[in-house]
Amino acid sequence: MTALDLRAIRGAMDGICVSYLCTCDAEGMPNASMISQVHWVDEQHVALSYQFFNKTRRNLLATRRASVIAIDPSTMAQYRLQLDYVETRESGPLFEMMRAKLSGIASHHGLEGVFRLLGADVFSVESVEQTAPARLVPPRRGLCLLAAARACCADMAAAEDFDALVDAALDGLVRHLRIEHVMLFLAEGDGRLFAVDSRGYGRSGAGAEILPGEGVIGTAAREGVPIRIGHASADYRYGAALKAAALSAGLLAEAPAGVPMPGLQTPHSQIAVPILAEGRVAGVLFAESHEIMRFAHEDEDALALVAGHLGLMGALLRREEPVPGGTPAPLPAGCAQSSVTVQHYPRDDSLFLDHDYLIKGVAGAILWLLLSEQAATGRTEFTTRELRLDPRLRLPAHAENLDARLVLLRRRLEERGACLRIERTGRGLFRLVTPGLVILEEVGTVAAEPV
Amino acid sequence: MGHQGYATPLDDIAAWRGAAPAPGTLPPHLRAFLQSGAHPILGTRGADGRPLVGSGTAARVEADGTVRVLAQRLGNGPLLEALAAGAAIAATFSHPRDHRSIQLKARAVTVTPARPDDATEAARQVAVLTDYLLRLGYEPAQARGISAFDADDLVSVEFLPEQVFTQTPGPGAGTELRAEPAA
Repeated sequence: MTALDLRAIRGAMDGICVSYLCTCDAEGMPNASMISQVHWVDEQHVALSYQFFNKTRRNLLATRRASVIAIDPSTMAQYRLQLDYVETRESGPLFEMMRAKLSGIASHHGLEGVFRLLGADVFSVESVEQTAPARLVPPRRGLCLLAAARACCADMAAAEDFDALVDAALDGLVRHLRIEHVMLFLAEGDGRLFAVDSRGYGRSGAGAEILPGEGVIGTAAREGVPIRIGHASADYRYGAALKAAALSAGLLAEAPAGVPMPGLQTPHSQIAVPILAEGRVAGVLFAESHEIMRFAHEDEDALALVAGHLGLMGALLRREEPVPGGTPAPLPAGCAQSSVTVQHYPRDDSLFLDHDYLIKGVAGAILWLLLSEQAATGRTEFTTRELRLDPRLRLPAHAENLDARLVLLRRRLEERGACLRIERTGRGLFRLVTPGLVILEEVGTVAAEPV
Repeated sequence: MGHQGYATPLDDIAAWRGAAPAPGTLPPHLRAFLQSGAHPILGTRGADGRPLVGSGTAARVEADGTVRVLAQRLGNGPLLEALAAGAAIAATFSHPRDHRSIQLKARAVTVTPARPDDATEAARQVAVLTDYLLRLGYEPAQARGISAFDADDLVSVEFLPEQVFTQTPGPGAGTELRAEPAA
């Protein structure tokens, strides 16, 4: 039984202020300590970070009860939670959420090597009591997040295709939620993520790649839960993992290739929210900031609402019948008379234009298929439906958002200034625009070496 | 000091050995530490058999080694009742200067009214604590909020420490500091 709604005091559980913990041994001898993280799980549960096998741990296993004081940093009100131990989770979504947050807390306190999460100790909350009054008036944010999320969803509802949906979502996050740096990622079947577009970086970054489990974005996608960090942490930095993986796999040629992540150099706050559609992670909405602790629980709520809407809308738009209309995408000046050589590496469907990396994964496979089809038949007009059914793409039968792949591909081609374009000719309809001469080179097989 | 400028449990163990305290008393460096703006966290077992955590304001150490933790009644009611009724105490003192943390435990505790000069001393220690919280990156309003107390609401929780532990984060945390330390 809890007198206070745990949701109302989530702000006390963000690790900004340290929390206090007491456990007892079987003889009743207490043990008092500080604890870096009390994590809000749901209306009835919290989790404590298990970092060391110490007296607290032995007491918990022996007597299964704890008492915690958590402080709300916006008011400095203190709350005592009386807890009953339920279980310890050593992997999975809750563990990863807490591990990410802890790494930020540790880095903030200069204790990055000392704090390591061994487990998430889950407790049911027996009672909550306020033990010290609010001493501060919480600062007004000048922003009602619920209304902002609603406005963002309303903008998205007006989108007629995935292209417009991406713009509505990203522009809405900037305009209504006042998020300055935001990126949208699309998940491949193998867990890799590719950036579709972004705001606040000076370039879209379309095609930039995140490995499964890499940083907050890869972790959010792998676990299907929001991951939030309030302080910069080396454990969740991007780029290094990708390069190391490429080098260790002997893909030396690949290390310098790839589209660079447009992320901030020194972000202090990061949040990644999975976009769920039809029971799987279809992508990730990612935001970051130079500010410390920029994203609170309520920001996560708002982003989750927008991400949920994005997932639903994306799935709905995919089912629509083709409708003529669309936007012309002229080739850059100078393309008409030129030629372009396209190299295809079947191992990962990466494409190079005149030996410069363009894209890989499903988007790469799609473009290669279109170019091959055009070379064989002279066709330039295509539908997303035929792509979906084409066995050469080996797409999963369901939940494959081809419109999203095309948006990614189109934006990447535009940003790259390539002499190739995908032109929307209507909903579910598009045209491949190419210069005078396109030369296609299939490079090797699975064990391909670059030419 | 560790390489990051923070304390380590090994520092605490070494300092303890060097100080060679008489049994049942704290060495001078720990007496000083307790009164230097370290924040006391209190724990006991409540009347219902559950652990109970509370927060202290400051601490004073008597000539005879008695530790007096000054705590507010507000928010600590059931904890103070349990201590007055004979429950054991754990008091962990943690300093934001370097994260050094020392835990004291005792089975015999008395809860008495604060003395006239306690509030002045508590205010001095709290000012030091606030200063270090600011250096740690807390907002001024937050730092003041953490350490705010009502001088008229203080009581003194008094005990002779029976056990002393280093709780400083790191390898060795939780080690008991004994009069005759094990090799």
